[in-house]
Amino acid sequence: MEADAQLVQRCLRGEGLAWEELVRRHTRRVFNLCYRFTGNATEAEDLSQEVFLRIYRTLSSYQPAFGAFPTWLTSVTRNLLVDHYRRTRRDRQTDSLDDSMPQLEEKHSSARAPDKLAEAGELSIQLQRGLARLSPELRESVILRDLQGLEYSEIQAVLQVPEGTVKSRINRGRIELARILTEMGLKPTN
Amino acid sequence: MDWNCTLTEERLSDYLEGKLSPAEAAAFSAHMSSCANCTETVAQVSSFVNQMHKLEMVGEPPQLIAKILDATLGPRTQKESWRQWFGWISVVWQPRFAMGLAAAVASVVIVSYAAGLTPAKLKKADLSPSNVLRSANRQAHLTYARGAKFVNDLRVVYEIQSKLQPEPETMPVSDPAPAPQEEHNSSPPNSTPQQKSQSSPPASRTRVSSGPMFALLLTESVADNLAENSINISTRSAR
Repeated sequence: MEADAQLVQRCLRGEGLAWEELVRRHTRRVFNLCYRFTGNATEAEDLSQEVFLRIYRTLSSYQPAFGAFPTWLTSVTRNLLVDHYRRTRRDRQTDSLDDSMPQLEEKHSSARAPDKLAEAGELSIQLQRGLARLSPELRESVILRDLQGLEYSEIQAVLQVPEGTVKSRINRGRIELARILTEMGLKPTN
Repeated sequence: MDWNCTLTEERLSDYLEGKLSPAEAAAFSAHMSSCANCTETVAQVSSFVNQMHKLEMVGEPPQLIAKILDATLGPRTQKESWRQWFGWISVVWQPRFAMGLAAAVASVVIVSYAAGLTPAKLKKADLSPSNVLRSANRQAHLTYARGAKFVNDLRVVYEIQSKLQPEPETMPVSDPAPAPQEEHNSSPPNSTPQQKSQSSPPASRTRVSSGPMFALLLTESVADNLAENSINISTRSAR
């Protein structure tokens, strides 16, 4: 598979196909980050579009030396999410999370027993509600670490805070989320 | 090591990710075995973190990628219209049509070569519509004139033949018609051998006296070449 940095170079030379490949490769990650943060599929869709528009316009400013393309993409997404969060703070008080839930990923689902699938879907929805009750700082940290699978150093680059702060936020976010989910009646399994 | 509930919470992620030193890990475990609250918290966090790791990403809405590409690269209906314009290529590009097309192109090339059009001699000025029309017109006239002259030449040949052979039953031409002979006193060079073959009857008398006839034809073909050259020169200077 062609490296992201090469695709970026091709994009800068005006190759639409390279841009299409970049979009196809990263849309899911960006959409998931937006969806987990906002808890709303429609908002997440709009925000994802906004993210890629911004990326498209500022692609020439991307330098591979400063970090991997996905990290840069995540930074842009996160900054937009924070802007969006501040913009919509007042409206959100009355918002419901039941809005529109996107379908679970189809991949591997056929191999899964139906009850397990339902379980995963249930967890996904409960998790969404639990995340919504976390503060934005803790929420973004937990999402980046446990749902997006980023390394601590990458999260540090995205959030622009010291490593100690990153670790502390992730830790507190996990404990808080576990408490909320338990309160919501979810039982820990292992 | 003195371990308490606050420390357990603070270092929980380090514990889950195996980042505690052996001494810290031992103290952590020792505290858990004596604290039910911490044991429960660790079990909950561990379980939910594991579940989150196993959770697959939700699928993006199906139209999202297309929307993003439209918003960035512009509406891609251009691609569709391109397909509309050039869609017929795939239809034509089938063996049957391709072979037919190749045969048609080949025959056009052969005909144009036969008509005296060689791509190597083709100039830019030759491609302008007025020149194409003019040369086509000239070719048509030349072809017609050659055909007409050929028929007249044949007539003359038969006439001469009939005069040389006085047998009455082999007289095919009754009307001598000398006028067209004077009008079209030009003959293509390739018509000579045909006439020669037609003008060689087995009779020995004819063969001996056919000399003047060849002389006549020879002068005709020379005159024809001269005329053609003068036409060429006049059309070149017209361009």
